[in-house]
Amino acid sequence: MDMDLSPAGVTVEHLDMEFIARGRRQKVLEDIDLQIAPGEFFVIVGPSGCGKTTFLRILQGLAKPTGGHASIGGRIVTGPGTDRGFVFQSDALYPWRTVARNVVFGLELQGVKKSEAAARAQAMIELVGLHGFESHYPHELSGGMRQRVNLARALAIEPAILLMDEPFAALDALTRETMQRELLRIAAVAGTTIVFITHQIDEAILLGDRVAVFSPRPGRVREVIAIDLPRPREAGIKQSTAFQTYVGRVAGLIGQA
Amino acid sequence: MPVAAPVKDSISGWQIAKVPPTREPDLEQDKPVPLLAPSAAAESATISRPGFAARWRAWRRPLTTLVILLVGWELLGRYVLTNRLFFAPLSDVVVAAIHLWGTGELETHIWVSLSELLEGVAVAIVFGIIAGIAIGISQRTREYVEIYITALYATPLVAVTPLLILWLGIGVVSKAAVVFLTAVFPILINTASGVRATDALLVEVAQSFCANRRQIITKVMLPAAVPFMLTGIRLGIGRGIVGVVVGELFGARAGLGYLIFISGQTFDVPALFVGIITLAIMGVGLTFAAELVEHRALRWRRVVSVD
Repeated sequence: MDMDLSPAGVTVEHLDMEFIARGRRQKVLEDIDLQIAPGEFFVIVGPSGCGKTTFLRILQGLAKPTGGHASIGGRIVTGPGTDRGFVFQSDALYPWRTVARNVVFGLELQGVKKSEAAARAQAMIELVGLHGFESHYPHELSGGMRQRVNLARALAIEPAILLMDEPFAALDALTRETMQRELLRIAAVAGTTIVFITHQIDEAILLGDRVAVFSPRPGRVREVIAIDLPRPREAGIKQSTAFQTYVGRVAGLIGQA
Repeated sequence: MPVAAPVKDSISGWQIAKVPPTREPDLEQDKPVPLLAPSAAAESATISRPGFAARWRAWRRPLTTLVILLVGWELLGRYVLTNRLFFAPLSDVVVAAIHLWGTGELETHIWVSLSELLEGVAVAIVFGIIAGIAIGISQRTREYVEIYITALYATPLVAVTPLLILWLGIGVVSKAAVVFLTAVFPILINTASGVRATDALLVEVAQSFCANRRQIITKVMLPAAVPFMLTGIRLGIGRGIVGVVVGELFGARAGLGYLIFISGQTFDVPALFVGIITLAIMGVGLTFAAELVEHRALRWRRVVSVD
């Protein structure tokens, strides 16, 4: 299957984000500068509360930064756009829609013709391995399958960039490994830029072309590490010395006071 | 709900047939959940209809209760409360019912009460859902009207029946108006709560897919509020039946409430019971129909059981 995507790059300059919580000003992100190349699999790893989800929401246009700006494909982000697909953490499916109707949701909003939308949705359902489950409701699916639907829904609008917010965090260890493998396969087919957030170091290194390590609040980019491991990557790669060296390095960066 | 063993087999057969044979092995451990999903089971159970034995098992116990009650009623009327001015055995009531049906009187009463109920409830559904959505989505509208709606909901609106009869006459319209007033508030309030209870995450998903305000309302908030609306409608029907009877007691030319009132005035206890029982059957029938609609419309919901 080929998908006609032209992946977009991301530029983030001097991005600041502050919240006012209970009358107190809290800095969540501080002076983030990042360049993500078109087609790159970019992973952000950091402890919980480091503002990585906020960062992704800014890229999606669901939150406005208090300073600096992010641009995608050369255009400054001012709100949600159909050039971006967002994969939510969990349970973000519409429970009253079947798998097929959930996947078609974004296309339906755009007013894509019904037959064309259905065909594109079907292609995505097959891409994520859910053929045969089109008419199931979300509550009839396991957590892993629900995340496949989530992914298919985001891919169906043929985004230039895919934003994934800890999509496997709620899954058990076995399903998580399966989904990581599946994501690597799907990413290779889709060829879209991916910004992926996680708090799991081995997940970050297994998936990413580059891994950005965020510091605890306020979130800052400690270091961006290029992961020079061959693709396609299998789970077995985790036992290699090279992989373990990266794990040690990222753990060291996260552990820094 | 008891499901016969062959039905269960046909369920898994149906499910497995839908699973593609050439999936990666990883889906195997992903898969068992849908096979056990309760609503999928319920759905196919209605497709392959249960046999006579299964249906008999489901009805056996409530029917037993019914028979005991009816026999008890007959005995009570024959041997304990023998004064026919105050009580009547079941057999007398059956005779009265056959007589009333034969003269066409009972059909008229049923027809009048049913049209009052259905007209009132229909208008209440349309108005209640539209107003409920408006109140649910708009903070400003809510600030204007919420407290008064709460006040009206708490007021027993059957109290305005004499006024409605003065304005609209003793025909069907005044009673339909009573039904509307009693039924509209549960529908309206439930719809508004349903809209407001929409999961913020689901709204955010729509926003991230660039949904406009209208799309968020029609594609997220409305479907999310449907279970609430249906509950409101079911409650509204129940209150509407009370409205019909009270309305007819105040002033009417026909209807089951009128039948009860007149029978009471003339010490015709069997006819009075005919009116009450017909109302009970009507109430059960409509509630059952409403539940059927709910069940059909809410197939997507997880069935929770604490058995």
